[in-house]
Amino acid sequence: MKIVLIFFAAMAYVTLSEKDRLHGRWETKPSEKGNVTGVVFKADSTFEGYINKKPFVSGTYTLQDDIFTFTDNGCEGKRGVYKIFFFSNADSMRFVPITDSCIDRKEGMSRLVMGRVK
Amino acid sequence: MKQFLIIGIAAVLVLLVPMSFKDREPADIAELGALLFFDPILSADCSISCSSCHQPDHAFADTGMVSKGVGGKKGVRNTPSAMNVRLQSTFFWDGRAASLEEQALAPIANPDEMNLPVPQALERLQRHPAYRHYFKKFFDRDPDSSSLAAALAAYERTLETSDSPFDNWKFSDNPAAVSDAVKRGFDVFNGKGRCVECHFGADFTQRDFRNIGLFNGSTLNDSGRAAITKRPEDLGKFKIGSLRNVALTSPYMHNGMFRTLEEVIEFYNDPARFVPDAINRDSLLAKPMGLSTDEKKDLLAFLHSLTDKQFNKQGE
Repeated sequence: MKIVLIFFAAMAYVTLSEKDRLHGRWETKPSEKGNVTGVVFKADSTFEGYINKKPFVSGTYTLQDDIFTFTDNGCEGKRGVYKIFFFSNADSMRFVPITDSCIDRKEGMSRLVMGRVK
Repeated sequence: MKQFLIIGIAAVLVLLVPMSFKDREPADIAELGALLFFDPILSADCSISCSSCHQPDHAFADTGMVSKGVGGKKGVRNTPSAMNVRLQSTFFWDGRAASLEEQALAPIANPDEMNLPVPQALERLQRHPAYRHYFKKFFDRDPDSSSLAAALAAYERTLETSDSPFDNWKFSDNPAAVSDAVKRGFDVFNGKGRCVECHFGADFTQRDFRNIGLFNGSTLNDSGRAAITKRPEDLGKFKIGSLRNVALTSPYMHNGMFRTLEEVIEFYNDPARFVPDAINRDSLLAKPMGLSTDEKKDLLAFLHSLTDKQFNKQGE
């Protein structure tokens, strides 16, 4: 029984700390046209995406073993699954698609390189 | 004595007018664009400017179904807002311009609008000492069509808004910025109303053209996008309009046929009730949405939450 409890506690810790890696505000550098894309990942497993401070997408997500799974209010509710590569002391990240049938979103996310806003 | 007085006043005016123009000498290309945007010099009889139809108080849209050009001549489509165009990739209801620069010159030359051929507009600017000076300063040459378009487009790109209650809720993570009705309305927008399927993005629009059922080939006879592409499947399709500041841009649709947002919501709720013989209506609108009275109110509250706070400040 004790072992089971320890196992679940460890799993919860891993999941929480995984989420902590994303929690907060992330932004791209300005594009050639000066556009900045950003996302706020919240503790309640929701996120808000924006361009130039204009919100454009809302959704919910999970993160486990750097696998980011989410749905949003675009793409007719289709689920996207991406591997996140963290780098620069986990202050930067990029997304590599695993499965996403929403072509426009897949193209957009594959180009994203974001840094944590401190 | 009287003559001296008149000559004196005239001399002061002659001195003051260029000075006042000089006082607001533009600091950059966008400010030069602003000067041009509000200056009737670009219309045939110097009676209207871009701002006559793109009125700042109405989020740079017009209040009439269609705008009136030089000599009171009526246009054929409703004037869209000139705000929040920076992220857009096609312009005009039928998408006939592929850049803001291309769009900027068209109303000047359009006989139904400012009715001034671009070469004549350029001659005027070249004869105008202050404008000539500004164009030399920023473009290192006399005014030409590309620099005129660049200046107007640069100004339009500054007309971005991102400080609405909705933005404060979502971007600034402040749930108290909007009412519960707005939050429920956003759920209707994304869910039962399916509005998001067309109005998705930072400006609640996509790079797409849709036929919402306002073309029947007789009483509603604007073929829209098809006139540009010549493709039958584009018949009755129009550019999806941005919803930012939409509460200020009445009337609505390409022909301005709806005066209020309430009417717009009623239309989308059951388009066939308004236009039973529509041709090519989008399949998204094939069935009535069946929104309840409360859901319509919530959706309306959500649309009002997209009004930037700068417009509230104007009224204070």
